Amino acid sequence: MRTPGNGTAGRLTITGVQKVFGDQVAIDDLDLVVEPGEFVSLLGPSGCGKTTLLRMIAGFEEPTRGRIRLGGEDLVGTPPFRRPVNTVFQSYALFPHMTVTDNIAYGPRQAKVPRREIADRVREALALVRMETFADRRPEQLSGGQQQRIALARAVVNRPQVLLLDEPMSALDRKLREDMQLELKRLHQDLGITFVFVTHDQEEALAMSDRIAVMEGGRIRQLGTAGEVYSSPSCRFVAGFIGRQNFVPVHEDDRGVLVSQEGEIRFLPGGAGTSQAWQGEELVVAVRPEAVTLRRTEAGQEPQDAEVNTVAGRVQAVSFLGDVVQHLVRTVGGHELLVRGSAYSSETVPEGGTVLLSWRDDAVQVFGDD
Amino acid sequence: MRRLMSRVLGPGALAFPTWAYVVFFFVIPVFLVLFYSFGHKPDEFTAVATDQLSFDRYGEALTGAFVTTLGATLRISIVGTLLCLLISLPFAYWLAVKVPPKWRGLLIALVLVPFWTNFLVRTLGWQITLSPEGFLNQWLIGAGLLDSAFDILYTRTAVQIGVVYNYLPLMILPLFVAIDRAGRSLREASYDLGAPRWTTFMKVTLPLAMPGVVSGCLLVFIPLTGDYVTATVLGGASGSMVGQLIAAQFNTAQNWALGAAMAVILMVTTLLVVAVVGALLWGGQRLAAWWNSTPVSVEERAGDEGGGVR
Repeated sequence: MRTPGNGTAGRLTITGVQKVFGDQVAIDDLDLVVEPGEFVSLLGPSGCGKTTLLRMIAGFEEPTRGRIRLGGEDLVGTPPFRRPVNTVFQSYALFPHMTVTDNIAYGPRQAKVPRREIADRVREALALVRMETFADRRPEQLSGGQQQRIALARAVVNRPQVLLLDEPMSALDRKLREDMQLELKRLHQDLGITFVFVTHDQEEALAMSDRIAVMEGGRIRQLGTAGEVYSSPSCRFVAGFIGRQNFVPVHEDDRGVLVSQEGEIRFLPGGAGTSQAWQGEELVVAVRPEAVTLRRTEAGQEPQDAEVNTVAGRVQAVSFLGDVVQHLVRTVGGHELLVRGSAYSSETVPEGGTVLLSWRDDAVQVFGDD
Repeated sequence: MRRLMSRVLGPGALAFPTWAYVVFFFVIPVFLVLFYSFGHKPDEFTAVATDQLSFDRYGEALTGAFVTTLGATLRISIVGTLLCLLISLPFAYWLAVKVPPKWRGLLIALVLVPFWTNFLVRTLGWQITLSPEGFLNQWLIGAGLLDSAFDILYTRTAVQIGVVYNYLPLMILPLFVAIDRAGRSLREASYDLGAPRWTTFMKVTLPLAMPGVVSGCLLVFIPLTGDYVTATVLGGASGSMVGQLIAAQFNTAQNWALGAAMAVILMVTTLLVVAVVGALLWGGQRLAAWWNSTPVSVEERAGDEGGGVR
């Protein structure tokens, strides 16, 4: 469905955008550039402003300040019906008094596309979402997943420069959601248009996006690829929001070792994360559960005082998560640490067993105050 | 039979007040009116007798001034219903779409304020407003907008104004509910797909609000055809409606048979108008749906490929 001569596919540029509702600042001085054809997710907890940002790109809200441009064109002040963007709504918002075909044909008809071409385009869009046989149904005769596909077809049939997706999968069950993620990724590759995808589901964002904008409190806390936001989070919030983390509050001793409050666990960060200026702040160390290795020990066998990046403990709970086994380990000092390992390759220690935990120095991440 | 009994005596008994009310105050009276309409007035002191049944009262009703008044009544009712619709639609749209939710309750209460006031008192208020010596005339003349006082009290125009005022809330409320239920997200979807506001209203909001339009029109039109208070107060001799004629037969002339025949004719006419308008609406909707739809049927697909236009 790529159409040549559709104008230059534009870069979406958001500059210094602020949105205030009453005395509530929903979006605060936000900058974001989305390259043509890119799949960018806006990820964050509810109330972080991600949907507001999407609605401003669509034109349902106007920014209090700042600019939103697509290609060379300024979108601010342009009503939604004149913007070259289309939205897949969270509630799908299919017109209940129209058939599937009429729903999909609604956009092209507004654009005064010739009748015969509309029919072709509708058929093409239905084929794209594999719903050819549902053309004459009404929305209420479709399941949630089917309605979602039609909502998608109704948006892409207009060949927008940017497709906006507002948590389109939040109403689907897990299995269907995973199927739709693959479908959506395929669709993105087939169409080559820019996708801006709003979600609060990190797995969804990680699975599909070229880049993820992690949002909190109306700001983008980090913008990067899935690997970047997962492995090198920019701040404590991003580290905690994406994936699981073991957070331990620490202070730095005179030799550069980060020691937990009561002195039990000693972290020594290595690799790129060292020698940063985090002195004097409230520090916290983060270690991913899957970066921790667990070894069964005999009771009483404890690490030497001088040893770093290791701690002894007792297994509190074991859970089998299918592909992963998770141990919850309580240290003598009272810290509870999560350990995750592959169900095939890592050791499983029953509840009450004593273990020794250790991690590589490059798995230690240190954060100051956010 | 036993099942029927258990239904009537079981949960059905809970509905007793309702069906008793309907039976005693609606079904039986309607049948009595129908029955009386075949009777006659035997003498000065008896309202109705049914020893000899005939269609004579219908003949009597259809030859008198009743027919002209019936025509006038239908005109007032139809024009009144359309005026109510035209006035209510923008207001209901504004209320459901533009007004912030926290103000809606207050505005709906204001719409209903006239309902808290006695029907007769409200109509008498219009008598004062419309009279040639009334304040409205004095102000308009004082402001130089009129040369001489308008004199529409005791005319059909006065009745028309009065009924529109009296029945407006009955139109606004169902319209508001229907437009409100059509929902913001569907309007946004329509804008998003390139439809400006007016197109969105015509293609999304109004079609979805049609049940409200229909119920509003029924709520206004049907009681309006039988209204006689407004006509009595504002219409005088030239603005009379059939409701007055029927009331006169029952109350003044004590000719229940003729009054009943007139009432039956009014009811049948009203239902006929509703049926005709309903059929037209239904046909119109089918036509609009056909006109708007994009045929993507299997046949056309085959035809397209055969035609080689692409």
